[in-house]
Amino acid sequence: MLLRTLHAVKRGPAVRFLVDGQAVDAFEGESVAAALYAAGMRELRRSPRDGAPRGLFCMMGSCQECLVWVGACKVCSCQIAVGAELEVETLSYREQRVG
Amino acid sequence: MSPQATDVLVVGAGPAGARAALRAQACGLDVLLVDENHDAGGQVWRPIPPGFTHTPGSAPSAEARDGDALRAEVRRAGVRCLFGHKLWNVGTHLRADLIGPEGSVSWQPRALIAATGTTERVVPFPGWTLPGVIGLAAATILLKSQHILPGRRTLVAGAGPLLLAVAAGILKAGGEVAAVLDLASRGDWLRTLPSLAGRPDLLWQGLQWQARLRAAGVPVLYRHGIRSVEAVGSGFEVRTQRVDASGRPIADAAAPVFAADAVTVGHGLVPGTDITRLLRARHRYAVERGGWVAEADADGRTSVAGLYVAGDGAGIAGAAAAGAHGELAALACAHDLGRLDADTHSRERARLQSSWRSSARFGHAMAGLMALRDGAVAGIAPDTVVCRCEDVTRAEIDAAAHDGARDMNQLKAWTRCGMGPCQGRSCGDLAGELLALHVGSREAAGCFTGRAPLRPVSLAEVAGDYTYADIPIPKAAPL
Amino acid sequence: MFDAIVIGGGVMGCSTALHLARGGMHVAIVDRGPLCREASGVNAGTLTLHMTRAALVPYAMRAWEMWMDAEKWLGMGVLATQAPGLTLAFTEAECELVELRAKARREQGAPIEVITPERARQIEPGLNHGLLKAGYCEIDGFASAYLTGRAFGHALKGAEVDVLENASVEAIDSNDAGHVVRFAGGVREPLRAKRIVLAGGVWIEPMLAWLGVDLPIKVLVNQLIVTERIRPVMRSVLSVANGLLSLKQFANGTVLIGGGWQGEGDRERGGVEARPQNLVGNMRLAAYAVPALAEARIARIWLGLEAETADALPIIGDVPGVANAYVIGSAHSGYTSGPYMGRIMAQHILGQTPDLPLFEPARLVGLPMPGA
Repeated sequence: MLLRTLHAVKRGPAVRFLVDGQAVDAFEGESVAAALYAAGMRELRRSPRDGAPRGLFCMMGSCQECLVWVGACKVCSCQIAVGAELEVETLSYREQRVG
Repeated sequence: MSPQATDVLVVGAGPAGARAALRAQACGLDVLLVDENHDAGGQVWRPIPPGFTHTPGSAPSAEARDGDALRAEVRRAGVRCLFGHKLWNVGTHLRADLIGPEGSVSWQPRALIAATGTTERVVPFPGWTLPGVIGLAAATILLKSQHILPGRRTLVAGAGPLLLAVAAGILKAGGEVAAVLDLASRGDWLRTLPSLAGRPDLLWQGLQWQARLRAAGVPVLYRHGIRSVEAVGSGFEVRTQRVDASGRPIADAAAPVFAADAVTVGHGLVPGTDITRLLRARHRYAVERGGWVAEADADGRTSVAGLYVAGDGAGIAGAAAAGAHGELAALACAHDLGRLDADTHSRERARLQSSWRSSARFGHAMAGLMALRDGAVAGIAPDTVVCRCEDVTRAEIDAAAHDGARDMNQLKAWTRCGMGPCQGRSCGDLAGELLALHVGSREAAGCFTGRAPLRPVSLAEVAGDYTYADIPIPKAAPL
Repeated sequence: MFDAIVIGGGVMGCSTALHLARGGMHVAIVDRGPLCREASGVNAGTLTLHMTRAALVPYAMRAWEMWMDAEKWLGMGVLATQAPGLTLAFTEAECELVELRAKARREQGAPIEVITPERARQIEPGLNHGLLKAGYCEIDGFASAYLTGRAFGHALKGAEVDVLENASVEAIDSNDAGHVVRFAGGVREPLRAKRIVLAGGVWIEPMLAWLGVDLPIKVLVNQLIVTERIRPVMRSVLSVANGLLSLKQFANGTVLIGGGWQGEGDRERGGVEARPQNLVGNMRLAAYAVPALAEARIARIWLGLEAETADALPIIGDVPGVANAYVIGSAHSGYTSGPYMGRIMAQHILGQTPDLPLFEPARLVGLPMPGA
């Protein structure tokens, strides 16, 4: 919880959600991109030609760098909220799982 | 697929769009306000996450108050809203196609007000694509809305009012700031002082931010930028460079190096023209307003009948001016639809234009600080990625231009720059600036042609549920 | 004075100009925009025999070789890639079409066989299990159409062809001595040539009108859809027996969906916008054929104008009633056969016997457009 600020807000319920099969601690309602970032998972994908590591960049659904899979949908993780039942897969994890 | 009808569709529920919707409703128009976010407020007044509350005793910022007030007003007025909906297409007769949690929906308005705000501009440098290097606007959202720090020790760089706001915000939230690098000079800032006449609150806030930085011993380097960011261990080494007034790097062996575990950088905001380019409105290049903008009159009427623009998406003038601009567009719309008589329109318009002018003064001054400088792209090294989606480097862009690519669309075809899922939003302004070096001007280089979808949508989202028999297959091809 | 001026810088015009220049002529090529920015630069890049008209199969097969070899004769490739071609049948009616179309193309030399769904799925594992039958051809594949302009630009300049882009022609004055090409707004000096080649795609109709010839050319406004890069989900080029799907995945992972679904547009305004119900239909067909595509996100939708004559066969040969004037275009799947059509057009103009017969324009004079 190092990056979460302490004084200005009272957060919602603490939850765990699944990322690539592993549980990640977060708070309900946070943006998934922010929650992953705060959990130290800054690398979210690899760039197509150079295979360079990439992570969240614009936080407003424009740059398409923070994409994750939620079920059958590829979404900008900065545009979805954490919930207790949420299961997220990073792009490389899904690719390696499905082939 | 039959669309539902409404008088005016307002796209974007930020300061401009929400005010436009409220005013349109007050004029007796049937209104639909859409936004892909879950509530009104846009970027500048983003709400805190659902389920979060402001701690009693901690004074919410002016922005938090303004945002909450706007959201409450939209709810009280009963404006019909479609939040969490992505607008992916607008037809030439303004029919709008959206995807939401329940699937596809279409609306047919008589008029459309585009209030889609801006996206962030970052002038590329080696290391700008590394995880942990984020935009200034992104850092603002992380801090103000999510209450999460970009890092334990963050370097803040770029241009414009967000620099100080983010740096001070990081300190206030208990983080460290390694340094602030500002392309501007102290003189550039001093020259914006007259625009603050009438906004002592903003002046006071700026001074407080500066004081906080001084008290924390944060180095603030004017006329400095990032030369490169390198991953070192679990953090970064940031090499800085001095720049001249045009943003061009000055070779200087003494430019300091900083250690940080996060970098936030932004070189201004670029008006969003996805919808206006899609509808083939005429555009003009206005560097002091952020870049390409739809040609529009003072009320936001574009060259396309029924299409209006309002807010920063029409040219940067700041959040305060955005509200007045939204109302002006709504009034113009109501008048053009025959629901507002000329006298009332004149009266209301005069009042709002006066309000817009005084608010815009500050917004324009800030836009000036954020505007892309002449020499900004001079220092971009050839092997630096410019198009993040497709890993297209400056060298490839220059090679295509040397080979004869004369405009943005030809550049796109020859390099794939702009063909990725960001649809040219992250790279377009910079690619245009680079191409302009070869073809003489931004006007000559032009813009990427606007195309649907306005944001990526999946085949499943558009196709919906169907069987083979549902597919309307026209007659067979000739043998 | 040029030996020949080609008006229209698409694949037909570029190939004609290149072959004329290599045959010794002093050539200019003119386009109101950049080379290959209309149909030739925005089409689906399908290099297939399945969807090529049966009569054009011999031409398409020779052109296929040229595309695969482009680096050799053009100097620069368009990423032409061989891939097996499958044309799919999901209903009984479509099964009959597959058999009919395969037979007609086999008669023209195409190595197309009709195969079982099991065999089709060996070739393309991701196919919908509702498949009933498929036509299979190993001579199939695709190119990246958007690279065509750059490739031809290099070759033409290398062959010392005068390339005049962004030069809009407004009239041609013709007599027995030759032709004078006039530019709109007088922005350029007129050009003189002994011979003129009209290669303007859908704009062949107004171009022929410059020469006083009245011949209708139908304008098709084809919609195209491309996804962002996705994991490999297919390795063949797919079509459906009714002709209304083209589907392929490029090496970069993007998937291009086409098939001739119509959008709004016309010759004067170009492609204006897609028709939503036709986008939905096209996407449904694609996601039906390869169910893994449902998850793919669309990055871009655009339109391209394709030309069609009254009998749906190309117009390649002498302009009726005008000396030293030629026309080339309107081949269904013109991109597929374009390089070869340009070669035989040039052979004819150079006074040689074309390797395969041309398509006499005179036959179309007075032939009404069906449905007109």
